[in-house]
Amino acid sequence: MKRSLTPFVVTAAVLAFFYLPIAILVVHSFNASRFGGAWQGFSLRWYAQLLHEPEIWQAARNTLVIALTATAASLVLGTTAALALHRFARTRLQRVHYSLIYIPLVVPEILMGISLLMAFVAVGLQLGLFTIFLAHVTFCLSYVALVVLARLQDFDESVLEAARDLGAGWWTAARRVLLPLLLPGLAAAGLIAFTLSLDDFVITFFVAGPGSTTLPIRVYSMIKHGSTPLINALSTILLVLTFTTVTLSQRLGRSRAPETP
Amino acid sequence: MKKIAVLGLIVLAAALPACRPAASAATLHVYTWASYFKPELVARFEKENACRVVMDTFDSNEAMFAKLKAGATGYDVVTPTSYMVSRMNALGMLRRLDRALLPNLAHVDPEYLKIAIDRDMDHSVPYMLTNTGIAYLKSRVKDFVPSWTMFDRADLKGRMVMLNDIRETIGAALKSLGYSLNSTDEKELLAARDVVLRWKKNLATFENEQYKTGLASGEFLVVHGYSGDILQVQAENPNVAFAMPREGGAISCDDLVIPTGAREIRLAHAFLNFLHDPAVAAENTVFIKYLCPNKDGYALLDAPFRANPAVFLDPAIRAKCEIFADLGAANALWVRIWDEIKAAK
Repeated sequence: MKRSLTPFVVTAAVLAFFYLPIAILVVHSFNASRFGGAWQGFSLRWYAQLLHEPEIWQAARNTLVIALTATAASLVLGTTAALALHRFARTRLQRVHYSLIYIPLVVPEILMGISLLMAFVAVGLQLGLFTIFLAHVTFCLSYVALVVLARLQDFDESVLEAARDLGAGWWTAARRVLLPLLLPGLAAAGLIAFTLSLDDFVITFFVAGPGSTTLPIRVYSMIKHGSTPLINALSTILLVLTFTTVTLSQRLGRSRAPETP
Repeated sequence: MKKIAVLGLIVLAAALPACRPAASAATLHVYTWASYFKPELVARFEKENACRVVMDTFDSNEAMFAKLKAGATGYDVVTPTSYMVSRMNALGMLRRLDRALLPNLAHVDPEYLKIAIDRDMDHSVPYMLTNTGIAYLKSRVKDFVPSWTMFDRADLKGRMVMLNDIRETIGAALKSLGYSLNSTDEKELLAARDVVLRWKKNLATFENEQYKTGLASGEFLVVHGYSGDILQVQAENPNVAFAMPREGGAISCDDLVIPTGAREIRLAHAFLNFLHDPAVAAENTVFIKYLCPNKDGYALLDAPFRANPAVFLDPAIRAKCEIFADLGAANALWVRIWDEIKAAK
């Protein structure tokens, strides 16, 4: 039987749709032209100019600090929330808790941004990296809780009971049994939280204070009033970093694979 | 699990103070557009005043306004466009300037102040001007006339672009009819709507960013755009020319203001004063390619820049140009007309 070409064509088209814009961006980051309309020769001038933009690097640093701390905090809080939701799923309190966790996923970002800003102003908290951190934990927490909750639903409680029967204390059972089994869920949740925090614009714009401009805010402003090739160069660097991290983590995953059946 | 949580919180508590903004007394916070100050000049100001300058950026007047209105404080200098300055001032969001701290304001171009909204520089100082006019490709556009009627030229159909901006585009139509671009008269506005609808048939699109690329590559032949942007395109494609229509057009100005929530009042004044030092103003103008309205700074610009009609308008045409003012209650009427324009086929 002749295999149909359609699936191949559709896959190729979808992949092109995903990656062609990125390819164009990378190509233009080496274009000497400021406007990227016509190719004016290969050039590294935008990369060289990036070195002289301390504000962009400061913004990148802010973004990373917030993404890392917010991911860590929301992982801890989200996982504990998921555990509570899972263990006491039937109580009325946890049902309320569940809807409260769920709501931030559906609330429009702009509403969340402005309401958080008003709340911070009302309690007199000085806007800055700390308020961005709080805001990011607020929305990342919900994603973490739901991802971990999904993982917990497939979780076989009897394994934990067996560990306790065999003499493991609460702490040992959690550390040696619960955590390793939850790990894929935690990793996924952490990655989601990290990405969400990294590229959030709307909420961050509102809760950012003096001296805490993050990369997305900076990039938005540069599109309107600055140099687009610089953004292309910056994005290319970020892409290379992301691809390297992904490749490395896959390599690591593969080298460890034989240990787990 | 609890211990992990506690441990995590301890780590976080230890990490967080490190990422709070440094509470040093001498830090000036500027809230502005990206790349709006020459970095070397900012460094010089930091050195002269033994302070740090921290820049934060916004991407539209409206977003900045929403944020400050909701209560964000801590910004010492902000650079909104004039129409937004008057709205903010009307709401009491701006600080009166202390003229004793601003001796350099004597250098501000009095010709500009004649058309400015805050003529006495009571709460704002003009920072950067740009003119909105028509740019075109010299080699491809036959018998160009510096007039808004260019957009009626059927032979250029599909190769022309106007700004996707309610004020700029309806304003251009009002100007072409000889009305004020701040008109709130319904009859005038309806006439302007019909003009834009007529133009729209010849336009490729309404657009604010890509028109620069399109002009540089020759995709578009005639565009409605900002002189500052066009000068940047000119640096790359010398075939591009800019003209201010003879009916007059819009001059936009971003002003320097000190919001009421500012902390470093003295330093903020020092920064405003520094930017109007003639040498600084000239250097900044060359860097940003907009024009700092500083009459003693003009003399320090090189001759080709001084002779550029995109930057220094012919006085006769300049007299017909206007600054956008806040529309107040007429805003709703404008928005309705703009919606009709955008919806029309």
